[in-house]
Amino acid sequence: MKVHVTQEWCLVMARREGDLEVGAGPRAPYIESEEIGPATAEARIAFGRFVHLIRRQRRMSIEQLAKDASLDLAELVRIEDDLHHVPEPRSVYQLARIFNIPQQRLMQLAGLAVPKSERFRAEAIKFAARSESTEALSSEERQALEQFIRVLSERQEA
Amino acid sequence: MSAEVSAVFLVRGSTDELVPAELRDGIGELELQHWEHHWRPYLIERVRAMQAQGVPRAKWPQQLHWNWRLKATVAEMFLGQRGFATRCEGMTQGLMLVGLLSDARIVEQRGKPLVYVDYLEAAPWNQSSLQRPPKYRGVGSLLIHAAVTLSVEETFSGRTGLHSLPQSDTFYRNVCGMTDLGLDAAKQNLRYFEMTPEQAQVFLKKGR
Repeated sequence: MKVHVTQEWCLVMARREGDLEVGAGPRAPYIESEEIGPATAEARIAFGRFVHLIRRQRRMSIEQLAKDASLDLAELVRIEDDLHHVPEPRSVYQLARIFNIPQQRLMQLAGLAVPKSERFRAEAIKFAARSESTEALSSEERQALEQFIRVLSERQEA
Repeated sequence: MSAEVSAVFLVRGSTDELVPAELRDGIGELELQHWEHHWRPYLIERVRAMQAQGVPRAKWPQQLHWNWRLKATVAEMFLGQRGFATRCEGMTQGLMLVGLLSDARIVEQRGKPLVYVDYLEAAPWNQSSLQRPPKYRGVGSLLIHAAVTLSVEETFSGRTGLHSLPQSDTFYRNVCGMTDLGLDAAKQNLRYFEMTPEQAQVFLKKGR
């Protein structure tokens, strides 16, 4: 599609626009939720990235995972995309089942349960930091993912 | 597939001079790399500074956690979604994703198809809340022009709708001339704006 605009239109509109903000679309829900602290926020970064990476590791499309886990596609998109989206507990249980990860651990990662160990929190943050890229799964990402799966699979500390 | 490119202009914030730019029909790999490697690090750095200064979360950029790569990927899977980008001096300056499957809400237009702007974001250095003066002005107007042009091409007569982020209400109401249909409880209480065919014609002719 070609857009035809004149220099004059661009100048007039840019001046009218001035310093106004122009963003449109849904905001991240966390903004209204002051009780979400940085630690929970970082855990959720790890949760979204974890679901995204493990899905790619298993070469599943987002639609296929939604179907296999009996999840609404929109919910799954928000889990991967919206950093502070609070997932439905059922969604987390379904994903834990598909990925063969202890449910309670995944609940903690999703911010729906409080992690009992500082190490778990630290590992989640480390994982989030190491899985920044959203390009093809690199060997570093794969390593980070595998290491984090091991942590998730450890027995819960009392 | 290469994007169709239209010659447009942005205005440099520091000098108020016109700068040649491109409006691209499509969000490609380069745009997504710009988002990942330039927009996000810039945003994260600013948010860290805000956090250090004790700025409340409500005032942090509300697009902080948008993932354009995922949005663009999902858009590719669905018919009826289109992406647009503006590029200037080699860098992506704004991104927009629109859908073609929504209907108008204004009473006299109700039920007629419109172009719905799912997401619109200017690069962080073009947002005055993050950088003053912004590097370029006019990104929002150009992207809305693209949405309205698409609406005309799709025989939707320029009808365009969107939910504005709270700090952007003034732009859509006063600069774009859209009708404010109030807060939408079904959409995070964001304000819904709609452009009628008549308003679309006025918008397209504003600079003349």
